[in-house]
Amino acid sequence: MDKPYKWTFWKREFNSPILLASGTAGFGLELMEQGFLEGAAAVISKATTLKPREGNPPPRIVETRFGLLNSIGLANPGVDEVLKTLLPQAADLPCPLIINVAGESVEDFPAVIERLEESPVPFGYEINVSCPNVAAGGIAFGASPEIVERIASLVKRVSSKPFSVKLTPNEGSIVESAKAAEAGGADAVTICNTFLGMKMDWRTGRAPLKRNVGGYSSPALLPLTVARVFITSEAVDIPVLASGGVNRAEDILELLACGAAMVQVGTWLMRRPDAARELREDMINLLESCSP
Amino acid sequence: MPLSFISEAEPGRFLQLEVSQGSFPVTRRPFTISSVAGNSVDIIFEAVGRGTEILAETKEGRSLRLLGPLGCGYRLNSGKWLLIGGGLGAAGFPGLAAGIDCDQVLLGASSRGKLLTIPGARTVAITEDGSSGTKGLVTDLLGSILWDSYGGIALCGPVPMMKAVIEAIPVKARANVQISAEAMMGCGWGACEGCSVPKAGGGFLKCCSDGPVFPADSIDWERWEGIH
Repeated sequence: MDKPYKWTFWKREFNSPILLASGTAGFGLELMEQGFLEGAAAVISKATTLKPREGNPPPRIVETRFGLLNSIGLANPGVDEVLKTLLPQAADLPCPLIINVAGESVEDFPAVIERLEESPVPFGYEINVSCPNVAAGGIAFGASPEIVERIASLVKRVSSKPFSVKLTPNEGSIVESAKAAEAGGADAVTICNTFLGMKMDWRTGRAPLKRNVGGYSSPALLPLTVARVFITSEAVDIPVLASGGVNRAEDILELLACGAAMVQVGTWLMRRPDAARELREDMINLLESCSP
Repeated sequence: MPLSFISEAEPGRFLQLEVSQGSFPVTRRPFTISSVAGNSVDIIFEAVGRGTEILAETKEGRSLRLLGPLGCGYRLNSGKWLLIGGGLGAAGFPGLAAGIDCDQVLLGASSRGKLLTIPGARTVAITEDGSSGTKGLVTDLLGSILWDSYGGIALCGPVPMMKAVIEAIPVKARANVQISAEAMMGCGWGACEGCSVPKAGGGFLKCCSDGPVFPADSIDWERWEGIH
C-alpha cells in the first residue's frame, strides 16, 4: 500500500522521511530493544565529543507550561568509548545511524570525525555547532558564518561520509549560516537546534536550571521551524533537515511541503517512544486519503 | 492490565503515565508501582504539579497510555527487612513489604493525612505536627533499631530526610541500604540523560535505567539535592 512513498536522502532510499533527533534516542539501542525503530529512516545519535563529558548538574529537565527546557550539557562517554562499545552494538540497528558530533574547539570536530571514520557503522554525521547548554563552543560556533564554514570545510577534508550542520536559531542569521555550511562542503543543514529558554521561580528569584538558561523544545515551535525551513530551503541547494516542534503527521507533511528533505522527531519521543511508527502510519493514511 | 506487565512489576520498578490528552505537558509522568493484585496495579500520588493535577481530575474508567514496568527495582535480599519512608516516599512499600520478610516499617510525614498505610506490616509512625503517632521526625525513631539484624533496609523519601537517616545508620549497616530515587525525568528508558543522580566517585547515574532503586553507597550524597 505504501510502496509508492519513497524519500531519497544522501543517495539512499527510505520508506519514511522521519529521523530521530539527536539527544532524544541515545544511539537507538534502547528503542531497538523495544522494537520502536519501525518507521524511522535513521537515528541521529546523542552528541559525541573528543573527551568524555559527564554533563550538567541536575536538574537537567524542567517542563514549562508550553514545553520542555533541557540542560543536559552534552553528556557522553567520549569518542573512544563510542567506538569501542556503542557503535559495534549499533551495527545491529534496523536503520542507519547518523553520529552527532560536538566540540569545544573548531579543531575538535575534524578530530572526532577522523576517529569515527575508523568505524563502518555511521551512515553520516551531524555537526552540532549549536548546543545552548555548554560554556565552550556550542552556540558560539554557530553564531558566526565564518566559523561555520571553517568547521564544515575541516570536516569535509577528513570525512568520507556525508554530513549535515545543525544550526542555532539563537544568534546570527540562520540563512547566512546555512549558506556558509554549504560553501564549506556540508551535505545538508539541520534547521535547527533548540531555542534558548528559561524558567524563573518568581517566589525565590531562582531559575530551576543551574545554568539558568536551557534549550527549549515544544510542539509550539512548529511555526518557527516551518518559517526557518522555508527560507533556508530557498537559499541553499543542499538538503534541509527540519527539526523542531513535530508531534503530528500533518507537521511532517507541512515541513516537507516547505522544502525539507527529511524531518526530525525529538522531544515527542519522550511522550511516545514509538512515535516514528505512529507518525509514519498516520502520514501514509493522510497521503492515501488525499490521493485521487 | 496485561499479565506480562504484572509479572514484571517487581517492587521498586516504575511506570510512566501519559496524563495529558493534548500536547502539554509534553512528557509522561513517572510513578512508583505501589502494588499489584490480580491484573491491576496501584499507584499512590499527590497532586503537586500540573501533571499530577490532571491525573487527579481524570475520571474513573478513562483509559490512559502507560509505559512500563521501567527501571531496576529492589534487590530482594534474604533476612528480615526494615523499611523507612518519608511522606509519599513510602508509595512503593506496599508491594515491597509483600515480597520480603518485612520486620517493621518506620514512617514519617508532615501530618496524618500524608501518612500511608502499609497493609500487613508492623508500622511505627511519626508526624511533624503530632496529628498521628508521636510528634517529630522519622530520625527520632531510629535510636533503638538493631541495625545488624536486618538483611535489607529500604529507604525512600525527600533527599534531606534520606541524608539524615543514612547519617544515623552505623557505617557497617549502610551497605545494606537501598534507596529509591526521584528525578525530573524525560524518556524513562535510558536515552535522554535527563534524570541524572550524582554518582559516588564522580559522574552521574540515570535514575530511570540505572535505578530508580540504588545501593545507598553508590550515590554522592554531598552533591545530590533531589527535587525541590
